[in-house]
Amino acid sequence: MNVRVVFSGRNYHWGSSLPEQIALSDSTTVDEAIRVLESGLPDGQRLPGSCLLAVSGVHLGTIARHPSRELQDGDELLLIAPVAGG
Amino acid sequence: MNLDNLSQDECQRYARQIGPGVLTPEGQRRLKQSSVLVTRAGGMGGPAALALVMAGVGRVVIAHGGKLISPDLNRQVLGCEQALEKPRAPQFADYLRSMNRHVEVEAIDHEPDDEQSRQLAATVDVIVSCPPTFQERLRLNRAAVDAVIPLVDAAQWGMSGTLIVVAPGRTACLRCVYPEDPPFEELFPVLGAISSAIGSLAALETIKILSGVGKPLYGHLWMIDGYQGRSSSITLERNPKCPCCGNVGVRHPRETLRG
Repeated sequence: MNVRVVFSGRNYHWGSSLPEQIALSDSTTVDEAIRVLESGLPDGQRLPGSCLLAVSGVHLGTIARHPSRELQDGDELLLIAPVAGG
Repeated sequence: MNLDNLSQDECQRYARQIGPGVLTPEGQRRLKQSSVLVTRAGGMGGPAALALVMAGVGRVVIAHGGKLISPDLNRQVLGCEQALEKPRAPQFADYLRSMNRHVEVEAIDHEPDDEQSRQLAATVDVIVSCPPTFQERLRLNRAAVDAVIPLVDAAQWGMSGTLIVVAPGRTACLRCVYPEDPPFEELFPVLGAISSAIGSLAALETIKILSGVGKPLYGHLWMIDGYQGRSSSITLERNPKCPCCGNVGVRHPRETLRG
C-alpha cells in the first residue's frame, strides 16, 4: 500500500529529505511508518517527540504519545512539528 | 439596517463590511459590545489587533513588554523607525487608536502572569494568543478554559504558521494538543509576510466568533505552510483526561449566550 507523507511546522525544510510517498506492507502501523521515515533522515536524526501526528486529517496525538493505529492504502500521514513564535 | 447603537459615523466607517457574506448589522453591533485580549502584539498579534480595531471591536487590550528593537521591524507592523528603543505597548496602542477613534484600546506593558491572565480573561470575550513561548500560550489557554471563553492561538515559524481555535468544554484545548511542553527556541526564524497572514486569520476567527457570522474553526488545527505552498487542516481530538480542560463540562462560550 502507499501512504502520502506531509512534514510541516518547525524545521519544515527537513521535509525535503523525506519522501512524499512511502510504499508499506499491509497493516503497517504509524510507529513502523515513522521508523521508515527516520531511517531516511541524515546522521541518525529522529523526528521530534512533540511532533503532532494526524492520519488523513484526524488528530492522533504526538509522536511521543499516541494510540496504535494501522495505516491504510491512500492514507496521508501528516507530521507537524509544533511552532510557537510570536 | 438595525444599527441603533452605532453612530452615523460608525455606520459610515463599517459600510463596506456589512452586507451579504460579511457581517450582519447585528454582528457589527455585537463587535462593538465585545472585548478582546491580544497578547503579545508583535508579528502576529499586531496585525490581529489592527484588524480587530479596524473592524470595530469595542475594546481591545494588548499586552507586550520590552522595547522595540530593530529586528522586530521585519514583522511588527504596529512599530516604526521612530519608535525604536521605546516601550512597545504604548507605541502600539497609540497606533491602534490612530486607526479607529470608536474603539477603546488598552495597553499592558508586560506579559501577564497566571493571576493577571485569569483576571484579564474575566473581562474579555476572546483571548488571541500570539506569544513566542509555549509557557505563555499554555497560561493563556488555562485562563481561557477557566473563564470558559474562546481562545484563538496563532503560531509561526519561518514561512509557516498554525491556528487553533478552542471552545473550552467543547473542543480540544492547547493542553490536549500538547500534553508535554514542546521545545522552544528564543530566536526563531520568521518572515513578516507569514506573521501578518496568520495574525489576520486569527482576527478573522475572532470576528466570526464575536459577531456570530460564519463558521469558526473550532476543534481544528489549520496549518499554513508558505514554504511548501500548502495548507492542511486537522480535526483535533479532545483529551477527556486533560489536566487543563478535562473537568470543564459542556458549556457554551459566553459570547454565544449574549444577545
